[in-house]
Amino acid sequence: MIECDHIRNFCIIAHIDHGKSTLADRLLEATATVNPRLMKDQLLDDMELERARGITIKARAVAMQYAQRGELFELNLIDTPGHVDFQYEVSRSLACCEGAMLLVDAFQGVEAQSVASAYAAMEHDLRILPVINKIDLKHARVDEVAEEMEQSLGIDPSEIIKVSAKTGVGVPELLQAICTRIPAPQGDPHGALQAMVFDSHYDEFRGAITYVRLMNGRVTRGQKIRFLGGGTTHEVLEVGQFAPHKRPCHELQAGQVGYLVCNIKSLDMVHIGDTVSVPGEGAAPALTGYQPPQRMVYCGLYPSDGQDFSELREALEKLSINDPSFDFQPETSDALGFGFRCGFLGLLHMEIIQQRLEQEANIDLVQTAPNVTYQVTTRQGEELEIHRPQEVPDAGDIVEFRQPLVRVNFVLPSENIGTLMKLCQDRRGVHRATEYISPTRAMLRYDLPLAEVIYDLHDKLKSATRGYGTMDYELIGYFPADLVRLDILVNGTRVDALSIICEKADADRRGRAITRKLKSEIDRHMFEVAVQAAIGSRVIARETVPAMRKNVTAKCYGGDITRKRKLWAKQREGKKRMKSIGRVDIPQKAFMAVLDTGNDKK
Amino acid sequence: MFAPARAAYIHVPFCLRRCGYCNFTVVAGRPELHQAYLQALEREFQTLPGPVPVDTLYVGGGTPTQLRARELSELCRLLRTAFIPQSGYEWTVEANPDGLDRVKLDILCEAGVNRISLGVQSLQPGKLQLLERAHRAPDVLRILPLLRARFRSVSLDLICAVPGESLAAWQADLLAAVALDPDHLSIYSLTFEKGSLFWGRLQRGQLQPVAEETERAMLEAAWDHLAATGWDHYEVSNFARPAHRSRHNEVYWRGESYWAFGPGATRYVDGWRETNHRSTTTYLRRVLSGQSPVAEREKLAPVDRAREMLVFRLRMLEGISRVEFRQRTGLELDDLVGVPLRKFVDLGLLQDQHGCIRLTRAGLLVSDAMWPEFL
Repeated sequence: MIECDHIRNFCIIAHIDHGKSTLADRLLEATATVNPRLMKDQLLDDMELERARGITIKARAVAMQYAQRGELFELNLIDTPGHVDFQYEVSRSLACCEGAMLLVDAFQGVEAQSVASAYAAMEHDLRILPVINKIDLKHARVDEVAEEMEQSLGIDPSEIIKVSAKTGVGVPELLQAICTRIPAPQGDPHGALQAMVFDSHYDEFRGAITYVRLMNGRVTRGQKIRFLGGGTTHEVLEVGQFAPHKRPCHELQAGQVGYLVCNIKSLDMVHIGDTVSVPGEGAAPALTGYQPPQRMVYCGLYPSDGQDFSELREALEKLSINDPSFDFQPETSDALGFGFRCGFLGLLHMEIIQQRLEQEANIDLVQTAPNVTYQVTTRQGEELEIHRPQEVPDAGDIVEFRQPLVRVNFVLPSENIGTLMKLCQDRRGVHRATEYISPTRAMLRYDLPLAEVIYDLHDKLKSATRGYGTMDYELIGYFPADLVRLDILVNGTRVDALSIICEKADADRRGRAITRKLKSEIDRHMFEVAVQAAIGSRVIARETVPAMRKNVTAKCYGGDITRKRKLWAKQREGKKRMKSIGRVDIPQKAFMAVLDTGNDKK
Repeated sequence: MFAPARAAYIHVPFCLRRCGYCNFTVVAGRPELHQAYLQALEREFQTLPGPVPVDTLYVGGGTPTQLRARELSELCRLLRTAFIPQSGYEWTVEANPDGLDRVKLDILCEAGVNRISLGVQSLQPGKLQLLERAHRAPDVLRILPLLRARFRSVSLDLICAVPGESLAAWQADLLAAVALDPDHLSIYSLTFEKGSLFWGRLQRGQLQPVAEETERAMLEAAWDHLAATGWDHYEVSNFARPAHRSRHNEVYWRGESYWAFGPGATRYVDGWRETNHRSTTTYLRRVLSGQSPVAEREKLAPVDRAREMLVFRLRMLEGISRVEFRQRTGLELDDLVGVPLRKFVDLGLLQDQHGCIRLTRAGLLVSDAMWPEFL
């Protein structure tokens, strides 16, 4: 059994595409954890979606053996998701480490996500191991990037390790630094069992696999454990480590990272951030920081015409076994029929779930535009959580309408500061700080409504900075705002799935933009189609899709029949993927039209 | 279960030149292929089970009369060998006003052709020039008496809504054509087909199509005028004097069987729809080397066949009765398309009276938008 002082637990924090997965691959090779024959790129990202998108969605842990000057070390790499949607998972993973490798691209330099993650690591008192990656690049600007790291994060440039994860240069030095610079875990192997749950996944045959970091004590196969937060007791059927596949062992002890298999049939019972201890009197105290998952973004998911509601429910149930952080409730829409209101950690999480539904369950979906969660205090003193625009009470019943605000960090070329400030002001942002991290790059901090951030801020930032700007955000709380529900009527019928909540002062602009967008999305019909935006009974914008005037094939003889039938049958398939509201066929894409915020006004 | 085909189409792919709007199976200026083409046709006819009794023959193109006189009479001889026109038959040949002479007309007449479809398109010189047609109005006036003297029925093709055309100009063109007293008229608004020269010019912005509203007014003006003067508007684009409908084309629209020969030709026999290869040279090579010229074939399931028949029957203005639909398909019309049918009746696009479904004027104008819901 390896002693605590020879264990090193660390994670890698990096902006997307800065080479985290490649570096992890190199470490696995250098420590001979993976047989070179079985090596493949992005080895730790085994979800198809993760490979396709080049991102990490689930946290992972891998134990590596590394000998230095005749001493054997156990290096546990805890691979965390990088995206802000999974901030809570990130914070739990950080709580399991003593060190964090801060990986920065030698060309791209410091980005918003690097800054946000590095601050988070510092808050958790992790020892930062600064690394500049991709030094083999022709355009590498190692010295400037080192300076940026010093300016923005207070990194001592002499401590920076320079590597190329692609070629392997610098990897041995990095492994040495992990052993010498990252502190060994503290903890008493003889104390009461106390372990942090930092992730879980579902195995079809074995049930929930719980990922743990032992803080104190030990856990052995066959013993009973208790989730202190969840309040359930289980028998441990297997303990082990990932290397990188499951490798059972007899026990895990304080300082180690591994997994537990306990015959748990649903991931619902395994909460990230929960504490594992023993049942009864001898239990250790719960670790701090446990929170239930916070769903920030909601949208409606409906089967398209001709698809089965129960098929969608089964697919959602199956997915939620794997990912308890998303939530779904049946709902009905006058326009779309039976479907589900689903809550997600953020916009990326929503996209991932939607993609998995379409890929893994082969379900054709109509998705309504996402909205954030609002809070309302009513005249009767009720506190409401609003997950969809239809739930907004009458204006007269509302005493206070609150929306979530986030603190956003932007890192961008300083020449684009003006454009970004205008973008943020148009979105009711409050400027908090500007810092220069190098002569050409700056970091801006704004407080913004989350709703504004999720709609299109990221796209606008990318286009304002030709792709060089990055952003990251964290929730700061709910604050009162002057909000209204904006309804959309198609030929006089309110389409509930198209309603949105927006700032009263923006309602005219949003209404005009949405009706214009819908006009372009809705095909001409055999009759005129009126598209209106209204607050209550007051119409604030209107567009008309004129009726089709002439649509008839003139020539149709023996040779034309097959071609025409095929053409019309293809149009029929297209129609099937639309939703008929009244007699108006609305394409699925149109339900996202409400995201169109209109041009940013001077 | 499929009635034997009693109609045959023969495609003659030759033209003097290709007009700008045309994307048909056509080769321009290749007279050296005529002989091989006739040999290929003969080979194709040899696949028939023996001389076929027919009620209608239709020789289309291309320009069938582009064949030299000697070749034209060889074509007629081949047809008379392969097919036995039954009493009261209709035999149509398509022709252009230019390049027709008495010799060729006599050959056709003596062979038994009794209907000519003449590609007039317009009588206005500017419009004919834009359409890249070789003839002018005097050619039409010269040829018509020759046709009248030899053939029972003469049909004229007209095109409306060409770039720059006004409603008034079209009305004048139509009146001039009607004044020639044809037995049958086909009226098409100009379409820009992929593969035509006009398509490219449209994409490059060199041609400005007529506004949709004007095009609609042009069609309605023609329909109104012809209906008021006793013409039978019997299909979207076709008008007949009494007893002068194109019986051959009605075979297509009623979903009945027909033979077809020549490059790009489509036949419908025993429920199989087959199309010959569209390239004339490939067609010739295949047939002359003993291979099948068929490039595509399909057989629809009975339900799909019924739906298809319904759509093309509805393009005929007399519509279809539930009784006839049941007799032809063994299916109930309302089981198959009851929901869209009621919707379109509500919208005033279809009329449902005395068990018979037919297009209204409003429905005719936008009928393509209905068919997807019937298929």
